Amino acid sequence: MAVAGDKDVGVPQAGTSPAPPSPVAGRLSRVGRLPGPGAGSRRSRPRLRRRLELVVLLAPALALFVGFVLLPIVLAAWDGMHRWTGFGSLGPFAGLYNYRLVLSDPVFRESFVHNLIIVVASILIQLPLGLGVALLLNRRIRGRAFLRTLAFAPFVLPYATTAVMWLLLLQPGGFVDQSLKAVGLGGLVQLWLANLHLVLYTMIAVLTWQFFGFAMILMLAGLQGIPGELREAAALDGASGWQATRRITLPLLGPTIRIWLFLSVVGSLQVFDQVWIMTGGGPANASSTMVTYLVQHGFQSYEFGYGSAVAVIIFLICFIFALLYQRFVLRRDTRGALTRAVG
Amino acid sequence: MRSLRKPAAVTIAAAAALALAACGSSGGSTPSSSNGKVTLTWWTNATAGQLKTVWQQAAVAFHTAHPNVTIQVEPLQNEAFTTKVPPALASSNPPDIYQQWGGGQEATQIPSGKVADLSKLSSGWIGQVGSAAQAWQVNGKQYGVPYDLHTVGFWYRKDLFAKAGITTPPATLAALESDDAKLKAAHIVPIAVGSKDKWPDAFWWEYFALRECPTATLKAAMKSVNLSASCFMQAGDQLKTFMATKPFQGGFLGTPSQVGAGSSAGMVANGKAAMELQGDWDPGVMAPLTSDKKLNSTLGWFPFPAISGGAGSPTTTLGGGDGFSCTTPAAEPACAQFLQYIDSTPVQKKVVAANVGLPANPAAASALSLPALKQVLAYNHAAPYVQTYFDIAFPTSVGQALDAAIATYFAGQGSPQSIITAVNQAKSQ
Amino acid sequence: MTDVSTILATGSSRSGPARPAGAQPRRGWRRISPLTPVTYLAALVLVGVTVVPLLFVFVDGFKTNAQINSSATGLPHPWDTHNYAQLLTSAAFWQPLENSAVIAAIATVLVLVLGSMAAFALSRYEFRGREGLFLLFAVGLLFPINAAALPLYLMLDKIGLLDSPLGVALPEAAFGLPITIVILRPFMREIPGELEDAAVVDGATRIGFFLRILLPLSRPALVTVAVLAFVQSWNQYLIPLLVFTSQGRFTLPLAVANFQTQYAQNTASILAFTALSMLPALGCFIFAQRYLVGGFTGAVKG
Repeated sequence: MAVAGDKDVGVPQAGTSPAPPSPVAGRLSRVGRLPGPGAGSRRSRPRLRRRLELVVLLAPALALFVGFVLLPIVLAAWDGMHRWTGFGSLGPFAGLYNYRLVLSDPVFRESFVHNLIIVVASILIQLPLGLGVALLLNRRIRGRAFLRTLAFAPFVLPYATTAVMWLLLLQPGGFVDQSLKAVGLGGLVQLWLANLHLVLYTMIAVLTWQFFGFAMILMLAGLQGIPGELREAAALDGASGWQATRRITLPLLGPTIRIWLFLSVVGSLQVFDQVWIMTGGGPANASSTMVTYLVQHGFQSYEFGYGSAVAVIIFLICFIFALLYQRFVLRRDTRGALTRAVG
Repeated sequence: MRSLRKPAAVTIAAAAALALAACGSSGGSTPSSSNGKVTLTWWTNATAGQLKTVWQQAAVAFHTAHPNVTIQVEPLQNEAFTTKVPPALASSNPPDIYQQWGGGQEATQIPSGKVADLSKLSSGWIGQVGSAAQAWQVNGKQYGVPYDLHTVGFWYRKDLFAKAGITTPPATLAALESDDAKLKAAHIVPIAVGSKDKWPDAFWWEYFALRECPTATLKAAMKSVNLSASCFMQAGDQLKTFMATKPFQGGFLGTPSQVGAGSSAGMVANGKAAMELQGDWDPGVMAPLTSDKKLNSTLGWFPFPAISGGAGSPTTTLGGGDGFSCTTPAAEPACAQFLQYIDSTPVQKKVVAANVGLPANPAAASALSLPALKQVLAYNHAAPYVQTYFDIAFPTSVGQALDAAIATYFAGQGSPQSIITAVNQAKSQ
Repeated sequence: MTDVSTILATGSSRSGPARPAGAQPRRGWRRISPLTPVTYLAALVLVGVTVVPLLFVFVDGFKTNAQINSSATGLPHPWDTHNYAQLLTSAAFWQPLENSAVIAAIATVLVLVLGSMAAFALSRYEFRGREGLFLLFAVGLLFPINAAALPLYLMLDKIGLLDSPLGVALPEAAFGLPITIVILRPFMREIPGELEDAAVVDGATRIGFFLRILLPLSRPALVTVAVLAFVQSWNQYLIPLLVFTSQGRFTLPLAVANFQTQYAQNTASILAFTALSMLPALGCFIFAQRYLVGGFTGAVKG
């Protein structure tokens, strides 16, 4: 459908520009658009002043960002190129030695695979779930706002607190086991955190519990942006509820879904707190993620050079994903946004 | 980029200003030496139990005797030390006194320049500790001071042994395996192991190594950080055969060793398992995990059994100890004096009374109340050789790699060879 | 489908701030859809899965340890309040709570002020390198703060911010800037140019427009980013773990995790502590949730 996802591009053709009262009118363009390039610089304001405004507006944020986000990345990249215990001088320069070592460590690879599994599982579970619940909760039922609040609540809980809670719940003979037995499903009881083959999926379940509300809220927001008249018009045209959903709602949710996908993947690549507190990456690295690997090797083994290399590699993996995603997926959504406003 | 140059310059200036402003804010808890008053932060691993109280009392008593010195006790969970100490030593503000296990791990910390050389300040009194102090020396310099010593052996419940019809503790591996069978027949979990923490697994593999390798081989391996001798492979094979008899509790891979009633210590404390291969701190760890007041009289101890055909000595013991180090920012001689106080006989007697191990100061040995601990002491004295736990004897990165490899082996992955390879790889990194 | 596209092109009511949650242009019930019972069932399952674990934590805090060991799922037999009472009257709970609140407040204010200023510049000014700058901020989304823990720690040590609340708040604010700017910029862009021109005609400066018109209009998005920043800051575990050496400065999640290891045998007490530590987050959220959906609407359109 040409309509889907192109609403940004579609708008400029439609609509008319109302005649504004001021003399600067001729320079202004249409409803909802930013002034074009020429209109940006007011003839009455000196450019120096505008430059100053820009500096005042941007400098503090930039300073903080460069100082605490970019600088650590750069430093980590540099530290990663040395064989450094963490004490004293940086040690001998080693080029890409540490980086190569990280990529060839089977435990790191295993951790990377675990992250990938988390990525895929999160998408496969949270997307339909979040979407489905959002669709259902978008209908007029009683207590709708309450239910939305409820579904979102786990997301605002600190990860560490959630981890402690589930650690207690999943103890052998603990709440989960006892509940299963109480409803007659005692045969399903497992060693949730000690079983090598199960522990990663137990973690995925905990992560789903914590994050599914976020997917739901994002979908709800997207749904809010779809005018109700569309469905009514579709109903007039003879479409059933499901058809309307499939052909109108879902495609219009495209940009929302794509944004959620991005945030979900990046988040899944960075999982740490819950895993660290519940299993420490174990048993036998069965639940390790890239960041738990980083903490284990970066901090505990007095190999700060190696740890820095791990940090940079994690960053690069996220970065490459973002580049590819931006290029192949988000381009349709941002194309209009980028060209339209800048002019 | 003309339009950006100015903002960029301002940005850099702003960032610099921010950094300067931040410098002015108070950093941390450096020992303030204003008008002679000194505060020392003290990281110990006694987060629960009697030892925690003993340390608090020691801090207060020392302050009473030295009013200018205040000791701030900061208990830190044992497993957190590996994450917190390395960055602390890399920072400019490490804790003044911290838990120190000596050996190669201590040696790894020396290059930080933050560990204080206490040789001069301790020369007058370290002699009372005896030869045990050597494990806290690096290149002949005293960088740490022990406060207790340990031996690893089997802690078992006499009541459960009796229930299974076992009259005497096993002296050979074969006897241990048959005892395990008897316990299982009586529906008792034979052995609890806290595999989640990894180092309890290492005790097992290391003891097999001690029984398979002659003493000279062990000493050479420690010195060269090399496990290529074939007896280490045999140790792995023997361990595998033993584990095939399924002596451990279900889900042992996820069981912690000391934290909570579900830990391996907690299991033995509450009668859920018959024995545990652990250090002599176990009674002190078990006490807060159970409401059973008669636990101490129920506990017994026996050494790791002999293995027939093993080239190693049947009485070589695996052990270590706990101690403390001072860091260089710490105010001297206050820090050294405090460590001396901890090794003094009165405090050592209290440490011993907390059932956390053997005293570093032999003069306090008479305070050992637990018969089992007296037995351990005697055994320790009679042992021809006490091997320090491998992960402490080795440099830290090697020790961590070894523990991780053994834990993986316990999980049924890897091979005896992979343990040796892990050590070699870690060493060459 | 011509009708639909026409409606789409002209019927859009999306210029300006998003409608608050719940305002659906429906014309009322037509008929009871067969989906309604399914909806209620799904709602039930949702409530169960989300709420029951939370309830368990709260309720079992009222038990003694022996009760928990024997029956984790039942109601407490005598309701024992001493765990909660002990925690509520000791610094063990209030001190970390205060620490968390102070740090989160500092981080949130920083993010709001700096982020909205930067988003304003990036959305309504034109200058060369603007998109590049925006991309620079967006790239920050990709670097997990935990991966930067190591170099951050060393840097904080050098500038003397270890064991200080600022040592945690500043990095949190810095890492919160990307998502803030990514959400605020498209929101601010949506505000029509005419408003700005009208303000200029009335004699206001651009900064004046920013402060007096744009910011108030952006309130849903601002609340969203404020909530996100606050939650992110409250959540932090690894950075405070490294930065703080004295227990008195621990934040709440740190204190909960520490409590769990320190008093591991006292399950009931841990549950009580965990329950109490969830209350601030939940309370804050319930208060701010009205604005959340509205704020996100703006973001997803961008």
